[in-house]
Amino acid sequence: MEDYPEELRTPPVTLVSIVGFPELHSTISTYLHSEQPPINTLALPDFSKISVMARNPKDKTLDSSSAQPGGILKKDWLLKHRTRSPAVIAALILLNGYRVVARGRNAKTVVVVVQSTENDEVSEDRIIALRKRAEVDSKYLLNFVSDASQLKESLNRLGSTFAELANTYYREEGKRIKARIEKKNTNSLELIIRYCFKVAVYAEFRRDWVEALKFYEEAYHTLREMIGVSIRLPPIQRLIEIKTVAEQLCFKVSTLLLHGGKVIEAMTWFRKHIVCYKKLVGAPDVVFLHWEWVSRQFLVFAELLETSSVTVPNTSSQLSVMLEKGLTEWEFNPAHYYQLAAHYLREKRLCLEVVLSVSEASPSSAADGIESGSVSVIPSVFIGQFSQLFEQEDAFRTQPLTDAEYILYAIAEGKRFQDSFEIIALFKKSFEMYNNLKAQRMASYCGHLMAIEYFTIGDFSNAKQLFDGVANLYRKEGWVALLWEVLGYLRECSRRLSSVKDFVEYSLQMAALPISSSSGSQPSDYKRKYGPSGPASLSQRQSIHNEVFELLRGEYTLSSNEGSSDLKVEADRPVHLEIDPISPLRVVLLASVAFHEQVVKPGASSSLTLSLLSQLPQPVEINHLEIQFNQPESNFIITSPQRSLLDVRSGDQQDLRVETAPFLTLHTNKWLRLTYDMKSDQSGKLECLSVIAKLGPYFTIICRAESPASMDALPLWKFEDHVETLPTKDPGLAFSGQKIIQIEEQDPQIDLVLGVTGPALVGESFLVPVTVTSKGHNVCFGELKINLVDARGGGLVSPRESEPFSNDSHHVQLLNVLGPDGEYESQSGPDNIRSIQHSFGLVSVPLLNFGESWSCKLEIKWQKPKPVMLYVSLGYLPSSNEAKEQKVHVHKSLQIEGKTALAISHHFMFPFRRDPLLLRIVKPIPGSDPTTSLAFKETSILVVNARNCTEVPLRLMSISVEVDGDDTGRSCRVQQGGGSLPSQPLLVPGEEFKQVFSIIPEVYLQSVGVGTVCLRWRRESGLEEQTSSSIIAAGAVTRHKLPDVNVEMVPLVVSLECPPYTILGEPFTCYVKIQNKTKLLQEIKYSLADSQSFVLSGSHNDTIFVMPKSEHILGFKLVPLASGSQQLPRVTVTSVRYSAGFQPSLAAATVFIFPSKPHFEMEDKVTENKASLLMNEQIS
Amino acid sequence: MVGREVSESCVDSMIIEMVSSYCDRFCSAKPELAARRIEAIGYQVGLQLSERYTMERPRFSDHLEAIKFICKDFWSELFKKQIDNLKTNHRGTFVLQDNRFRWLTRMSIDPSETNANTSDDPSVATTESKSAQSASMHLYFPCGIIRGALTNLGIPCAVSADMSNLPACSFVVRIKA
Amino acid sequence: MIVCIAVVGHQNNPLYLQSFTEADDALKLHHIVHCSLDVIDERVNNPKKTGPTLNETFLGLLYPTENYKVYGYLTNTKVKFILVTTDLDVRDADVRNFFRRFHSAYVDAVSNPFHVPGKKITSRTFAERVSTIVKSFGLSTAV
Repeated sequence: MEDYPEELRTPPVTLVSIVGFPELHSTISTYLHSEQPPINTLALPDFSKISVMARNPKDKTLDSSSAQPGGILKKDWLLKHRTRSPAVIAALILLNGYRVVARGRNAKTVVVVVQSTENDEVSEDRIIALRKRAEVDSKYLLNFVSDASQLKESLNRLGSTFAELANTYYREEGKRIKARIEKKNTNSLELIIRYCFKVAVYAEFRRDWVEALKFYEEAYHTLREMIGVSIRLPPIQRLIEIKTVAEQLCFKVSTLLLHGGKVIEAMTWFRKHIVCYKKLVGAPDVVFLHWEWVSRQFLVFAELLETSSVTVPNTSSQLSVMLEKGLTEWEFNPAHYYQLAAHYLREKRLCLEVVLSVSEASPSSAADGIESGSVSVIPSVFIGQFSQLFEQEDAFRTQPLTDAEYILYAIAEGKRFQDSFEIIALFKKSFEMYNNLKAQRMASYCGHLMAIEYFTIGDFSNAKQLFDGVANLYRKEGWVALLWEVLGYLRECSRRLSSVKDFVEYSLQMAALPISSSSGSQPSDYKRKYGPSGPASLSQRQSIHNEVFELLRGEYTLSSNEGSSDLKVEADRPVHLEIDPISPLRVVLLASVAFHEQVVKPGASSSLTLSLLSQLPQPVEINHLEIQFNQPESNFIITSPQRSLLDVRSGDQQDLRVETAPFLTLHTNKWLRLTYDMKSDQSGKLECLSVIAKLGPYFTIICRAESPASMDALPLWKFEDHVETLPTKDPGLAFSGQKIIQIEEQDPQIDLVLGVTGPALVGESFLVPVTVTSKGHNVCFGELKINLVDARGGGLVSPRESEPFSNDSHHVQLLNVLGPDGEYESQSGPDNIRSIQHSFGLVSVPLLNFGESWSCKLEIKWQKPKPVMLYVSLGYLPSSNEAKEQKVHVHKSLQIEGKTALAISHHFMFPFRRDPLLLRIVKPIPGSDPTTSLAFKETSILVVNARNCTEVPLRLMSISVEVDGDDTGRSCRVQQGGGSLPSQPLLVPGEEFKQVFSIIPEVYLQSVGVGTVCLRWRRESGLEEQTSSSIIAAGAVTRHKLPDVNVEMVPLVVSLECPPYTILGEPFTCYVKIQNKTKLLQEIKYSLADSQSFVLSGSHNDTIFVMPKSEHILGFKLVPLASGSQQLPRVTVTSVRYSAGFQPSLAAATVFIFPSKPHFEMEDKVTENKASLLMNEQIS
Repeated sequence: MVGREVSESCVDSMIIEMVSSYCDRFCSAKPELAARRIEAIGYQVGLQLSERYTMERPRFSDHLEAIKFICKDFWSELFKKQIDNLKTNHRGTFVLQDNRFRWLTRMSIDPSETNANTSDDPSVATTESKSAQSASMHLYFPCGIIRGALTNLGIPCAVSADMSNLPACSFVVRIKA
Repeated sequence: MIVCIAVVGHQNNPLYLQSFTEADDALKLHHIVHCSLDVIDERVNNPKKTGPTLNETFLGLLYPTENYKVYGYLTNTKVKFILVTTDLDVRDADVRNFFRRFHSAYVDAVSNPFHVPGKKITSRTFAERVSTIVKSFGLSTAV
């Protein structure tokens, strides 16, 4: 499109000429140019220069007559109307200095009277006179005031008048020409076309796009009729002219359609245009001109599309139209047209090459003449025509060309251009556009063609790079025929670039492609159609195979066209190829390695099957194979018996194991299966890494080993309908075989004993003895790992505890590891690893020789009764040679129960025969918690019960009630009944122990903390363990938190006083003491029931009043009538105020009656009291 | 094209023979390999049948549509009945339940009945588990068919079968992400 | 005249490609068929722009090359059929009819127990049937 002249590319712009007053020209021009639509100005300083304007051609009559016009469109006509043929001529005059203008053809005239200020008087008469002289309508006689205040207005006036007049002018011109067409006064098609063209251009001047389009189309159709009719020019040039004009018309039509938004119409139009003209190839010698022309059509349309930002229709109505017209979405994409432009330009290049080769073979003198420049060919006045320019003396003369001369000229012109670069640029453009659209296949095709073009001009590295990208896609999608062609180019590129390795790789790839068809005869132009390797066929594959192997054996020298060096494979230039699972060379050599077992003992042997497959068309002889493992000492070599070992063993491979195979020849698509025994002493995994195949003196392939179980199908070949066999004979192995084998550890020859007896008890430091005994291995660098895991899986740390590392937060905890004698292990050396955490420990084990043993004790403490799994593992080296040996591991585990040692319970009670009135008990407040109530400042009794829940006897060491740490000060006084324990009592399993405490609450509170019972105890074990450590001797502590109690004021205390025993028939007195602790008068009712065992005196029923803060004593005299344990008469005391009744308990109301005075010494009173207390407790 | 009909008993016999051939003769030592082979045969059959039965119908727009096709048209072509119940978790798992799966209706031992009738005779228990095992062998073939059909429709998946109450049978399809 | 018919697998690999021209332009046809896969991808991925109705197997005219028209068909099993013809005026109904018959020939071919799914179709019967269908292309709209 850039080649088109400006006047063709852009829509026409009105031209106005202004004459006179040069000082105003720039102001007016600038203003008019910025008008919408813009107006160009042709400014002339005065009327003497008016001849610049185009004049009427004098031969006009001649032209319009029946005489043949010389051509269709004149080349400079458009330019003339753009630059030299104004629609309006404006004369800028001072009123007094006017003279008649020599008027242009039909141009409109405007007279502009220039005034310096508005105030300049212009007399009416003079204006009229002027108008008459200038023959202009008063409308077109304008005032122009150059004064700054009026300038704007004047310019506006000028602009609108010019626009109006220009419009009229172009309309009239159009009409005039149109009339000529309608009159049909000519049958010259050329003229009709020219008229139509002019009408369209005039319409364009007026921005009447519809009319413009109509007449351009008209011109185009008329032009179409000319083909084969016109005989004005010699045939070749005739066609050239028609095509050139058609191109211009088509361009105009397409532009108008596209800019008018009629995308589909534009597409359809363009398609018709191409269909119509594509067949008009023309004379064979200048076919290249035709293809160049076609290419330009596509290029121009592509550029138009690109600049008008067309989108694919997406409304249904548009879609249906699109379908109807047979359009597809790709035609809305400039890439499509760029690609075709490139394609036809390539066609042009090919045709031109043919023509050039012919013309070079037979040079003609005429060509010399044209090339020597004595005659030169120039474009003639008509579009699409050329003429010869002669220099005759001092004048130039033009003369029409003959077709033969024209051909020579065209060829000479054609030679001057390097089309390839243009072709590459076009393909690149569409390549990039397709890539942006993610149309990778179309992009690949463009890349492919681009690469071929690079190849043609000898830019092999660019070509190779592009071809490689294209080959990847074809390889991925299995388009073998396309891949063959690309690989053929790549092979040739590598040869030209002197890259032997690439050449070998591409050759092998080609040879291994799945192509089995046998080729017919090669057509003569096969290179053009199939690339450098010709059509794909089995025989081609075979010959490529043979060629590359000859090269690799050094028997053949490849000539590089670069001439720098010939390609040869020899000792100092060997070829190594690497093949991994994603390499395209996998079809050349595939190595599958499968161990027959998955796990094997160290030193035991397992079979290994190595299977090799090649798709090369000819058998391949392998000199030897080397199998490499991750454990290099397992590597081995396979040779065939024909080969001597001498050339195999070289340098550092001296000590490798060598196996032989009956033959080492790979046949097409046939597995070469080799099975050998493998043995490894090293535990861990043994993995086959790669297989190195030596295929000749200078050629090796390193092929990554693949497991049959995870092997992908062969690329390309997987789509082929050919026989597929399994890499191993055993189908199970083919499905599950792995190239890795697990070598187990040695069996440990060590005893690891965890000696635990019975369950652990909560609170104690539980010792677990661990013994390591060597039974065959030495233990070097031994490490003992200890792990504690909750057997129920709940975790050993209580989540509730806030402090993460407090000791109590661990339910079970590894405290320490003790030495064999129960003492703390001393740090004996720098390598003595010791690390103890709450549930994990790591201890080093000293060197043990065969037969020796070592032991330690794990000290574990339970805070909660929880079962725990104890894992102990020992890792060691069987010998002190650290580098060589591998660690052996022994694992032991044991579940240990944690049990509560002592179950502690408690209860509160009142002192014997003394009962304070606790209102809480009498009248419980509904809803309040049933905590125990104690009387304020009254003694209460606490009984603590401890039962041995274990299976072993426990020795109690001490028992006490400790105040809780958080209590400030003592809220109650606790006294241990009977002092400290007389001796440390032994509790057999299930036995209970009781301890009595007296409590006197000293604060009056709702809730009072009493404290925690601390029981210190230890296991009472046999004599042998008497020696055990001080930790055990210190004993364990079990705690029991006593609940908070409610302390109450007591209004009344009733106590019963009577002797513990009496003698039959002897009278005694019994008192009921009622203490009033309040400041109120208390009314107390009491009653006394009769009893058969006693005779009693005193009132039976009465109401008494007890004074505040005093006590009232009721006394009864009793005489026992029966011996033994007897119930005293029932006394019932009722407080009226609190409506609470009281009866002493049965125990309290029981006395023992001796039949006669017993003959033993009575103990002192204190003992008696205590005995009564104990008695009380046992009864309750 | 008019579908050609095959005697049902022929198909039954062929399947029984195929299963027994693989289980007892070709791969008697490796039941997994036998299962794999039978499934592979079903896979190819499913692949080819789906090719035929989806002819002349628009392409499926999503997985559910394809599964519904399996439940309705495909099943009808194979068994002259549709799948009775289709459940899904909407995350790629579908359960297709056939209340009377044709290829299991001729199975002689019904585990639910033997459960009810016999007490704790150990020999019965072993025959029962054996029959369950051989029935499950018979299910690899239809599983393969479903997997083949779905894979061919562009839905790679794993199919397993559950036959806890014969002759009802449910196929669990898990679509691979 | 039909110059080429191709079957392309779901991995976009060619399964069957047969040209019916005298001229030796197999490579060119390969390129045309391969490039048309881009159009099919585009049609399937952006059904908005699809010509015929949504999810129909027949994809319509894919794209015009200089001398050919390329039509596409996508089965439910993601197998593509591509038809390349030189005819300028092709009736959609003819192409649909052609594809329908071709599809049934294809199904018969791949249902052959000796055919391995996913591999190229090498059956001679299929080739014969295809050439019959190709020869009768456009002759009648009746099935």
